[in-house]
Amino acid sequence: MPLSKQQIDTLLTLVINSTDDSMSCDGCLVNVAQFAESELMGTSLCESMKKVQTHLNNCPCCNDEYESLLAALKSLND
Amino acid sequence: MSTAPYDWVEKLNSESQREEAIGKLREVLLRGLKGAFLRRGQNEAFCEDVCQESLIRIMKNIDSFEGRSKFTTWAISIAIRVGISELRRRHHKDVSLDAITSGDDMKIELAVAENDVSGNSMDQRAILETLSDLIENQLTDKQRTVVRALLGGMPVEEIARRTDSNRNAVYKLFHDAKQRLKSGFETSNYSLSDIQSMFS
Repeated sequence: MPLSKQQIDTLLTLVINSTDDSMSCDGCLVNVAQFAESELMGTSLCESMKKVQTHLNNCPCCNDEYESLLAALKSLND
Repeated sequence: MSTAPYDWVEKLNSESQREEAIGKLREVLLRGLKGAFLRRGQNEAFCEDVCQESLIRIMKNIDSFEGRSKFTTWAISIAIRVGISELRRRHHKDVSLDAITSGDDMKIELAVAENDVSGNSMDQRAILETLSDLIENQLTDKQRTVVRALLGGMPVEEIARRTDSNRNAVYKLFHDAKQRLKSGFETSNYSLSDIQSMFS
């Protein structure tokens, strides 16, 4: 079955925006709590947290989980 | 009145204080889970189930907490993954990997408007033909399967479950595939910004 136009656009966007990513999804899970706190507090990211950012930019599944984590943490602060 | 922060790890590891600490953690998790999942169309019963499963997971892995974040943030990050994994499993339970990836020996066809001969369309067609060639010649069978499954909406962990693999390995296949396609475009003298402008 041919790819739809939307799938082609998605693939091209993912390819164009792909960057070197040395982190695995499990590595992201280990670090994502610290990353979320940094983001919520607006503090600058250290090298290991920049790797989390890179992984989130490259991995739609981890990014989806991260968005939900932020929503959960914000609800605790309400 | 004590102002010392609540020591979750100590309390959860203490036989005499564990029950009370689990009750407190349950309250925190449930509030966070509701904040994340009610807006995704789930109900309170779903949050309760995820909370219960998460508590078991957290207690099992409590020794891996390194203290680089608040304990509750770490615990909620685990609960979120438990919840989203369950949503993904439910959403795809009746979808087979074959249904998404079968046909044409994993070759990905690209729908190109044959009758449109405007300059922009011809450039787009050339890019799509290059993409098709790269997919066919630069990617492995496994990479093509993963790319196709992901574009079909199946998340990494579900592909892993159906291929007896793991999430890290499937993600790596996908990431390497993207990098090969990116490198292939550059070798074919396409600038990424041109491609972006052509398809934005």
